Amino acid sequence: MDTAIPSILLQAVIVPLIGALLCAFLGKYLKRNTGWIAAAATIYSTALLAYVAVQLWTQGGQLVETYTWGTIVFQLDFGFLADGLSIPVALAMSIICTAMTVYSINYMDHRIEHLYGKDKPGTYALYYALFLLFPVGLIGGALSTNTIELFLFLESGLFPFYILMDVFGYKDRHRIAMMSFVWTQIGAAVLLIGAVIAGVKAGSFAITSLSVLSGTDLGLLACGLILVGILMKMGTFGFHVWLPLVHAEHPTSIAAVLATIVGFGTYMIARLLFQNMFASFQLFSLPLMILAVVTMFYGAYLTMGQDDVKRLFACSTIGQTAYSILGLASMNAMGVEGGVFYFISHILGKAILFSVAGILVTQTGTRSIKEMGGLAGKMPLTATLCLLGAMILSAIPPLSGFQAEWILFTGVFMQGLTGTAYMILAILALFATFLTAVYTFWPAIRIFFGPTPAGMEKTKEAPLTMTAPLVALAVISVLIGLFPDIIMHFLTSVF
Amino acid sequence: MQIIDVAPWLCWILPAIGALAALALNKVNRKAMNITVLSTTLLSCIMTLLMVPSLLNNSSIDHALFWFQIAGAQVNAGLLIDALSIIVANVVSFLSLLIMIYSTKYMAEDPSIARFWFFMSLFLSSMLLLVLADNFILMFIGWKLVSLCSFGLIGYYYRDEKEHWIGGPAPFPFQKPSRNGLKALLMTSFGDTALLAGIIILYLYSHTFNFMELIQTAGTWLPAMAATPGILALTCVLLLLGPLAKSAQFPFHEWLPEAMSGPTPVSALIHAATMVKAGVYLIARMLPIFFFAAWVAAPAYPEALTFFIMAGAIGAFTAFLGGTQAMVAKELKKVLAYSTMSAIGYMVLALGISGLSAGSLVAGTSSSIFFLINHGIFKVVLFLCAGVVIHSAGSIYLDHMNLSTKRMRFTLVSMWIGGLALMGVFPLSGFWSKDNVLIACLESGQYAIFAVAMISVVLTAFYVCRMMGLAFHTGTPDGNIHRDEEFRDRKLAEDHAHGEEGHWIEILPYGLLAALTVVIGLVGPLVSEFLSSAFSTYYANMGLEVAAETHTGFLGLSGLGLEVLVAAVSIVMILIGAVPAYFLYIKPTSNPSNLLPQTGIRRTLYNFLWNRWYINAFYNKVFVEPSIWVSKRVQRYIEDPLNQAINGGIPEGFKWLSRGLSRIQTGKLRINMLYLLVTIVIALIVLWLGGFI
Repeated sequence: MDTAIPSILLQAVIVPLIGALLCAFLGKYLKRNTGWIAAAATIYSTALLAYVAVQLWTQGGQLVETYTWGTIVFQLDFGFLADGLSIPVALAMSIICTAMTVYSINYMDHRIEHLYGKDKPGTYALYYALFLLFPVGLIGGALSTNTIELFLFLESGLFPFYILMDVFGYKDRHRIAMMSFVWTQIGAAVLLIGAVIAGVKAGSFAITSLSVLSGTDLGLLACGLILVGILMKMGTFGFHVWLPLVHAEHPTSIAAVLATIVGFGTYMIARLLFQNMFASFQLFSLPLMILAVVTMFYGAYLTMGQDDVKRLFACSTIGQTAYSILGLASMNAMGVEGGVFYFISHILGKAILFSVAGILVTQTGTRSIKEMGGLAGKMPLTATLCLLGAMILSAIPPLSGFQAEWILFTGVFMQGLTGTAYMILAILALFATFLTAVYTFWPAIRIFFGPTPAGMEKTKEAPLTMTAPLVALAVISVLIGLFPDIIMHFLTSVF
Repeated sequence: MQIIDVAPWLCWILPAIGALAALALNKVNRKAMNITVLSTTLLSCIMTLLMVPSLLNNSSIDHALFWFQIAGAQVNAGLLIDALSIIVANVVSFLSLLIMIYSTKYMAEDPSIARFWFFMSLFLSSMLLLVLADNFILMFIGWKLVSLCSFGLIGYYYRDEKEHWIGGPAPFPFQKPSRNGLKALLMTSFGDTALLAGIIILYLYSHTFNFMELIQTAGTWLPAMAATPGILALTCVLLLLGPLAKSAQFPFHEWLPEAMSGPTPVSALIHAATMVKAGVYLIARMLPIFFFAAWVAAPAYPEALTFFIMAGAIGAFTAFLGGTQAMVAKELKKVLAYSTMSAIGYMVLALGISGLSAGSLVAGTSSSIFFLINHGIFKVVLFLCAGVVIHSAGSIYLDHMNLSTKRMRFTLVSMWIGGLALMGVFPLSGFWSKDNVLIACLESGQYAIFAVAMISVVLTAFYVCRMMGLAFHTGTPDGNIHRDEEFRDRKLAEDHAHGEEGHWIEILPYGLLAALTVVIGLVGPLVSEFLSSAFSTYYANMGLEVAAETHTGFLGLSGLGLEVLVAAVSIVMILIGAVPAYFLYIKPTSNPSNLLPQTGIRRTLYNFLWNRWYINAFYNKVFVEPSIWVSKRVQRYIEDPLNQAINGGIPEGFKWLSRGLSRIQTGKLRINMLYLLVTIVIALIVLWLGGFI
């Protein structure tokens, strides 16, 4: 396919980077309005990606841009690939980043004032400049054509995460920021080792060359390493201990971004392992499925017991990401489509829920659900958003979660028909989804329904810059839910 | 383009527009909001009426459009217009319209009425979508949205003010609206989860979600499914759990009694007339597939009988269970809620009957649907009257009502008509549908189910008379409003208790429906005949003509003889239930509490029923409390230790290692030379082992 705009994919990645530079230099003077520069940059990227999506829809095929990077030892191409898998993922992540930049404007104003007072305008520059590295990393990562490039883009998202958390987080931020950095770096390192082994053996780091190893012994090793590296980032059971801690301490405006980074593993597994190393990857079906089901139940029960609104949604990410892993583990087209679709749906929902948690923290001054109650009357829009987020996660139509979930489970049951163990896992997993309704609606009711405690009488609705982006995300989710072809048209063209 | 092409779409889209309009117009103009919502409901009702002509010419129309792509297939969306969907859609939209009219008065003073209209209109829209959808996926959207609206409306008084609590009276526990809404949502979701699993398994074998295609192609995909033993039976069970939960059937019935904490029009619309019928509808919708498998296909698949056995058994059991609990309930709306469970049990058992023998398909389905129509109408009468009665009495408890039979004549008469129809008294509508169900039981040889159904008739007669007696007849004819200490602080009592008749806007809907109950009763056999013929063509079109209705009859009787016998027996049953209730509650000759000593078998039985057979308590002990127990401990005993071990332990390990290593870095030459020596020795050993030296 062709587009009228030159280097469109490169632009989509580079523009936020230029925006970051602008923010860095102008932040001191523009203060909170720096956010609008950041928003403009992310909106530009989103618009470009949307344009590519439309072209891809009408013309089919794929769009490849290649820039030669080095020829010293290997031919290293710095390429971007827009196809039915990368475009919906990149677009969704770009939309999340856009929504979160707008949300940041008020939230960070509040946060910076709380932490550093009014006399440190440079902190705005720091925040937005680093924040814009997220869209660079995420969009670039989704469009990458080789593993080294993918690794670098991922890293460019992790480093700012560490600094933003350390500078703008809550109480225990310094220790937790370091801890999460170490965790994600170890995950990245394991991933890199796997990718390098594969690259050296195949003689190329291009993602498509992974297929050379598929089915071989070395391929199994590389596949295993890449998988473990990704699972560490995705917070599956056993590798999850950093996730709730991180989510409890970071500024809420980057929570949705973290959920996106965590869920991005879905895309990587689909792209690297399912598409290119299927013969090796399919050997992991049963263990991966068991791990996913364990994580789903563990995440659900862990979430139910939480009292801190920020930790609450953090814990739910553990279980929700496992849905996507379950879909991928079913090793068939339906399951992978559903897994990727669920990832997109989940980040829309999670962005809403985390941001609602942020609104609650800023508007009520507490994080404890026990101290809240009856807030629906004080902040009806926030309450509605929270319920919409809960509906996305609990797969209640017309929001996107429902379509994603049944497609995913059709894949899982398809695998289920191949053996009793798979069937039992499939049914167990489906009943784990029932728990989602419990751990999303029950807290929502404790926060927003019932009598209002004495201290909360004067709580007010959040400003529009905080709620409007969330409304937009909910509308997108409804549109996808009503017209799933928006996503499925792309995914079915690849799988 | 013909009207039949657009009417089905418009009939569910219009209320959805009404729902959004309610939100949009809330701050603008309240009157405009009310008018918009009512007019969209009216238009929707007209649209469903416009579909009736296709019912008369027995056609089945399904226009499906491309919806979206999935791996290796595509999902279409369309509406299926046939006898079943037209009948149910008309019941839904007509009753909704009347309830909405009633609500304009009943809810007039509510400050957040926009939210009420939003959920009511969205409910109507999704209910019609669920009824008209031609495939499982589209149906499921309506199905879930209906649950969501139910959640929003049960928890309508989300602030949980004391006057909206139900349950009690003290010392018995009260339940709060927000919690009840959640309970309903979760219990039905549990069934939905199973339903979804069933739909998916069905799809994996049949490769279609479309109801008609599923039946038409059943012959080709059933062999593959039946090749693995157990799959067909598993699918039957999974598919049934969803409708059973939605229709408040055992073991998922526990949400319904507590769903009464919403405003009364909600109880009428959702928890009596329509939403709980969604389950019955879906069972009827899926039934042909399993009937085909069990009776038409050759060779037959006996596993498919699971579907009918389960429906028949659970329906009959719930009919009995609901009846027993209604006999002791203290709250007016709860009596009605239990009776709804019981009545829906009737419909479900009739659907079960329709597949338990080859010949009772039409009789079972048509009697079930006839029951559904009649029950919808008279249950709305009862609930709408109950709304007026509760306002008038200022109490939710029957014991405290004692209303005037003189001042509330309209309500009294309407409520009696509704009650007698519920009992199944000749010649009201309920009589015919109940008798049809009973005859179907006998004709298909299901004597056990017949017996349970008959016992339920006794229970129904008893609790209806008890309810009416306590509400109107126990006290003096002028009525005396009884308020004890418990209710003095409940706002409800102070604001509303007036002992007067309702407003004419309130009376009109239930008066009309009460009249309709009588009219349908008078032409009962004709309606029943019509439904029978409609469903026999309906099934014939699907190719389900089996061994033409061969009724063996019962005791040598068939046709009219059998009908007379069943009618006679059921009248006797009604009397067995009604006479004691009459002398206890309507013209009391003795105080009912004398029959209930503090101890002994009667008290034990009473407690058993009052505590809902301890099923609710059992669920709390087995599901709710352990889940909370586990969730509280997961953090403390798994998450925290893991965190300690990994995030605390590994850094500690490194610290310990570095401390240990720094201790051997002494800097003394002698010791360093020693390390050098050790290193050389180790190197030599390694080289030697490696075969280098």
